[in-house]
Amino acid sequence: MNFLSFQCQHQFSSGFEIDVAFKTEGLVTSLFGPSGSGKSTVLAMISGLLSPTFGKIRLGSKWLLDTDQRFCEPVENRRVGVVFQDQLLFPHMTVNVNLRFGQKNENIKKPFEFNRVVDVLELGSLLDRYPNNLSGGERQRVALGRALLSSPEILLMDEPMGALDDNLKLRVLAYLERVVNEWKIPTLFVSHGQAEVRRLADWLIVMKKGKVLSVGKPDQVLGSSTSLAWTNSVGPVNLLRIEIAYKRDDCWIGKIGVQELNLPPLKDLNLKPFYVRCLPSDLTLSVQDVQGLSTRNHLDGIVQELVELSDRVLVRVDVGQTLWAEVTPQAMRELKLYRGLSVTCLLKTRSLKILW
Amino acid sequence: MFFTVAQWSAIINSCLVGVFVVLSSLPLALFVGYFLARRQFPGKWLVEILVNLSLVMPPVVTGYLLLQVFKPGTPLAWFLSKFFGMKIAFEFPGLVVAAAVMSFPLMVRSIRLGFQSVDPRLEKMARTLGVSWFTTFFRISLPLGRNGVIAGCVLAFARSLGEFGATVMLVSQRESTRTIPLLIYTLKDRSDGIVEISYLVVVSLFLAAGALAISEYIARKGLRREFS
Repeated sequence: MNFLSFQCQHQFSSGFEIDVAFKTEGLVTSLFGPSGSGKSTVLAMISGLLSPTFGKIRLGSKWLLDTDQRFCEPVENRRVGVVFQDQLLFPHMTVNVNLRFGQKNENIKKPFEFNRVVDVLELGSLLDRYPNNLSGGERQRVALGRALLSSPEILLMDEPMGALDDNLKLRVLAYLERVVNEWKIPTLFVSHGQAEVRRLADWLIVMKKGKVLSVGKPDQVLGSSTSLAWTNSVGPVNLLRIEIAYKRDDCWIGKIGVQELNLPPLKDLNLKPFYVRCLPSDLTLSVQDVQGLSTRNHLDGIVQELVELSDRVLVRVDVGQTLWAEVTPQAMRELKLYRGLSVTCLLKTRSLKILW
Repeated sequence: MFFTVAQWSAIINSCLVGVFVVLSSLPLALFVGYFLARRQFPGKWLVEILVNLSLVMPPVVTGYLLLQVFKPGTPLAWFLSKFFGMKIAFEFPGLVVAAAVMSFPLMVRSIRLGFQSVDPRLEKMARTLGVSWFTTFFRISLPLGRNGVIAGCVLAFARSLGEFGATVMLVSQRESTRTIPLLIYTLKDRSDGIVEISYLVVVSLFLAAGALAISEYIARKGLRREFS
């Protein structure tokens, strides 16, 4: 789905230059990169809050900007729903009035019906309250609802979970998933968090210093050596989706394809699907299955890719889902790792973190 | 009644001048205050000097300049008389013009501060939701910057009550166009004027305090509604 086509150049008075070109290839695209890479600037250009020196922006079949033709669609006609990190709710209006602020009276197609948006985002009990009396997560949901009710053709989110703590982040993430699934609205979101990118995005654009570093599917891009150059100390984050979980002999088990994963204790089995997070450094690779270890999880997989960094090697393993493991260059040589090799990934249950 | 006819006339004139000054200056002050708060443009410094000029110029000089512009026989006086049947110099409208010119910088300054206190990103947010600049101004900028606007109106009203120098030059001392300060100035040389002056001083105090109280009430009412 090539919905958004973006190609812009702009030089700021500070000297910072942005020269970015990309096309979205999925329903949810993430702009990913370190602070100061120009991600928010890209959103500002699409929404019309910043006019680039040169550029062309096309949304579906509609041109938003074409500096060659001296054409610039006014902000209010662009039909983009913007959600900022700090929500920017209107403090003098109730949630109800905030939500209805951008509702159109004209005869444009309205896929976002007020009551449905309120239901999906669970805003019913908040309608008469003022933004000052809402929690961070509630504010973010209202901001999302307000953006949807303006009947946008694309949703632009600038670090929508940046200001939230981990628990709230997960709750808001679940609402975002719900919105994307319900309305199938093209979404472009800026993020720093690999977990949310892996969970939400199906297309990824990595930016650095005003340029696009790499583009592609999140699993592949996040492990490429160019993308990892700036996350040298972090590396990719593993996120496993668990569709089925059950309890057996006082142990919690989750299924990954045909393989089983021992999980930390679960609070509620009814909340499915859920995600399990672990770091590549938590994984141990073995070229043969080893018995007699206290490590509970032995996942069989095939090496898909080896990314050699200066001090370590990242190994992408397909265990039914993608897992990244981190090994030293010496370990890679001794194990004679290569693409297509069968390996076993050893993973302690304690290193798994459940994300609802 | 406490007041003489002349006192009543002065009090009513002063109040009317204050109200007319606020009503007539507010649209332009909103426009100038908003653009000074939000826009960067070439020659902005010149606009700021022009707006604030009457604040630093001697009032009598301002009044003299106004007289030169509006005195009978000038093109502007002819235009206003011919098309609107209005005379400025030595008439009631002159009181309003003199007070408006003197209070305009104070009004603009407060309104500008009011708009500067509004996060400009809220206005941008509103535009992305598909509303025009005009709607954004009246639904976001103005309600959120209202404290500055209210303060500007109160300051302009209070400044109008006290206006003397420019007024005495443009309108002079006529019985029908006396305001409280003009009447106090007239009474000060009379032997029995002290009592009448003291009444007028008390009225001035009440008018100024009342205006402040009303503005405070409106501002607090708005805050209570927002954060309840």
